[in-house]
Amino acid sequence: MISKKFILLIIFFSSIQLFTNNSFSVDPDEILENKKLEMRARIISKNTRCLVCQNQSIDESNSPLAKDLRKIIRKKLLEGKNDDEIYSFLTDRYGDFILLKPSLKLNTIALWFLPFFFLLIGLFIIFYHNKKSKKN
Amino acid sequence: MAIILGNLTLWLSLLFSISQFISLKKNKNRSIISISVVGLLISSISSFLILIYSYLVSNFSILNVFQNSHTTKPLIYKLSAAWGNHEGSMLLWIVVLTLFNFLIYKLLNKKNSIFILKTLEVQIVIIIGFILFTIITSNPFKEVFPVPDNGLGFNPILQDPALAIHPPLLYIGYVGFSAVFSMSVATLILSDNQKFSWHSYMRPFVLLSWTFLSSGIALGSLWAYYELGWGGWWFWDPVENASFMPWLLGTALLHSLIVVQKKRSLQAWVLLLGILTFLLSVIGTFLVRSGILTSVHTFALDPSRGIYILILTIFLGSYSLYLFATRSKSFLDKNYFSFFSKEGSILINNIFMIIVCGIVFLGTIYPLLIEALTNNKISVGKPYFNSTVIPIIIPVILIMGVAPIMSWGKSEKLNFLKKTIPCITITLFMSALFFLIYRSFSIIGILGIIVGFWIISNNIIILIKKDKSHSLGMIISHLGIGLIILGITGSSVWQQEKIAKMNIKNEIEIEKYNIIFDKINEVRGENFIALQGDFLVYDNKKNIVTKLKPENRFYPITNIFTSEVYIHTNLIRDLYIVLGEGNSKDGWTVKIYYNPLVIWIWIGAIFLFFGGIIATKHNLRKSKNYI
Amino acid sequence: MKKKILILPLVVFLLILLTFSYLLVIDRNPQEIPSNLINKKIPNFEANFLFKDKKFIFPEELENKIILVNFFATWCKPCRDEHAYIKNFSEQEEITVIGINYKDDPKKTIKWLNNLGNPYRHVLLDKTGKIAIEWGVYGIPETFVVNSNGIIKYRQAGPVTKKIYKKINLLIKEIK
Repeated sequence: MISKKFILLIIFFSSIQLFTNNSFSVDPDEILENKKLEMRARIISKNTRCLVCQNQSIDESNSPLAKDLRKIIRKKLLEGKNDDEIYSFLTDRYGDFILLKPSLKLNTIALWFLPFFFLLIGLFIIFYHNKKSKKN
Repeated sequence: MAIILGNLTLWLSLLFSISQFISLKKNKNRSIISISVVGLLISSISSFLILIYSYLVSNFSILNVFQNSHTTKPLIYKLSAAWGNHEGSMLLWIVVLTLFNFLIYKLLNKKNSIFILKTLEVQIVIIIGFILFTIITSNPFKEVFPVPDNGLGFNPILQDPALAIHPPLLYIGYVGFSAVFSMSVATLILSDNQKFSWHSYMRPFVLLSWTFLSSGIALGSLWAYYELGWGGWWFWDPVENASFMPWLLGTALLHSLIVVQKKRSLQAWVLLLGILTFLLSVIGTFLVRSGILTSVHTFALDPSRGIYILILTIFLGSYSLYLFATRSKSFLDKNYFSFFSKEGSILINNIFMIIVCGIVFLGTIYPLLIEALTNNKISVGKPYFNSTVIPIIIPVILIMGVAPIMSWGKSEKLNFLKKTIPCITITLFMSALFFLIYRSFSIIGILGIIVGFWIISNNIIILIKKDKSHSLGMIISHLGIGLIILGITGSSVWQQEKIAKMNIKNEIEIEKYNIIFDKINEVRGENFIALQGDFLVYDNKKNIVTKLKPENRFYPITNIFTSEVYIHTNLIRDLYIVLGEGNSKDGWTVKIYYNPLVIWIWIGAIFLFFGGIIATKHNLRKSKNYI
Repeated sequence: MKKKILILPLVVFLLILLTFSYLLVIDRNPQEIPSNLINKKIPNFEANFLFKDKKFIFPEELENKIILVNFFATWCKPCRDEHAYIKNFSEQEEITVIGINYKDDPKKTIKWLNNLGNPYRHVLLDKTGKIAIEWGVYGIPETFVVNSNGIIKYRQAGPVTKKIYKKINLLIKEIK
């Protein structure tokens, strides 16, 4: 038997926006028909920071701003824009902070280059060791 | 009353630590040292217990209890609330520090007194630093007046069994490395007199701390997986990175210690790692508690705390690294390793692990560096770490498979190849079987599965051969890593997600399952009310597999809504379902994940834990001979 | 060579901790995001007036004055808190204050402005939040200071407090 209290409960939950820490991500009505475009949308969203959350992407976030941005990204994909154009749209307005994968710019050269540099040094040490060990 | 007692025990702890320091510096009177060590341990534990007790009885006259608890909280979460907040967790830091102080002291005997006493000196300086930090900036025993009727409650998503044990395990790991730090520094201070086998003392502490750190991290990931509803378990969040980096260094340290013991080589390197592991723990604490960056995990922001910890970090780091710069010369050696030797493989693995640690560190602090230099804000998130770390980890794992079967010193390449042929065969066989069943190919997926099976088969063969020279602890831990890799690969590469709006009696298909939205129920918990959805899962033969019951909860006291994920687990896959917003008219948003092989991550972590415990016990037994 | 390397960890450590010290000491808010539109021209956008049945098109409708653009909403409490300061701005001759009503109900907005007083020369409607995104807005309220050439000079994320009020006034004096 569906009690009156239960119906009230449903109304209660449905009328309040769920501001939770537990995120929900993409709404079913946002999902694009074209699977390729939708996949691109998801990847771009995963790379876009939710600005009002702590360290989440808009793909994972429940916040209204995240939802707005997700919608805009999909709209632009439907308009035929490529990934770079969409990222530019976001960074023109919000700066580089909104990208979770930093683009290669003057101030991120060290970020992208240093891992290679570390690897090179590591390999150098390993080969140096090996070479020297043969001399013993 | 509790406030008086709590403050008293805190100040007693400070007093005992100062007395330990003074007697170590001046007269080395054993009785005073002994009383200080024991007294310190008792007072710090008492302090912690007083706080816990205050939570259990909901004593809201204490500000800390008021801020973080509530009468309606289930008992076990009142307990975990005590150490889940900043101030309480600092008490836990101090308890673990003083516990390890005690353990170091227990090792004291006639032969090693110079070394152990010096170690205790370093350890007590760390302790004094942290007790002062707690008293000055993070004292949990502050009063609130007038006494409120009830507390501010606590985030319900933090009311969870995994999250309850996560801090103690993690801190025993993190903070346990303080003993290793103290030993490294003591060794460097006493470098002119190297006749003691400092590495033998270090090893059990490294093993123990590493074991608990691994479990703490695994529990944190497990919690994130089933609580946050994102279907994932690792997000490269700064606080996660702050625990991962000491783990990487600790693992490197663990393995190079073996080389030190067997070949008397890499000593300077091990001393450096001993310093850096704990130093990274302290830097991590700074990043998380100073408010310098934001993260899902950060505690309440407070710049005065930041400044204090910064000063403590600079002090500990500069002193230890200066010692290293000036005194490690005598530990350098001219041994060089070839690729095809056990020590060579360990060196290679070490180097790769340091590289990974360096990349994680770089990515974590880079936004801060850029902000300081250019006043620009950038983000470095998951995509960066995934694309840089994963390619490097793969060779690490490959080598991890072979290293145990290599011999010390140079190996005959032909002989070595002969040894590995059974492993290669088994690996290829298991991988082929796997792909026959799953029929899904992707390069990373293939690599991950092969690498995972490579480790598992290598270790199973070692196990079968019953070779006594291989420690059981190592085999089990390595098996654990192999299982974890299988789990990580499966759940990342072949994860499937479906999002849909569902009305009652609607059906959705995922993998080979049909899931029907049966009904919506009302559910009451201890401090919440919830809407629960019943979802029936059928396989492709129309047999019912299980019922999934995700919930949307409302906690009236704290006015918080949460979404409780429901997971059905088996050895092959997790079915993971989240109930979103909705109503009876328009339907409910439902998100379902099919996560293959996830459970092997947690099973592998259990293997890691037991492997570590066995290794620690084994090592303690062996060491009793010469320490 | 080897001996010189030994000092490397200390050096790297000190450099990094120096950076942290600097960041702790300066006045910064880790949550705040700097605007990318500073010293750039106002974004192009279209909007409807609240009180008129026309469309507002930048930049033609602007007189050559200093403009304060204030994103606000009736459901936002900090907007109510800062309202007095916005009114003060509107009383200054040289400033035109424009309000952009974010994701709101026009009827509620009219009531709100009637109750608290209307400091805005124009009130524009941003029902979907698109205009806010054009301006790089990530929360409500936000206030932009634009000079008479249409260049954005300053962005305040969050409510205008006494401190910020003084800061903006100083800035306006400089711009003139």
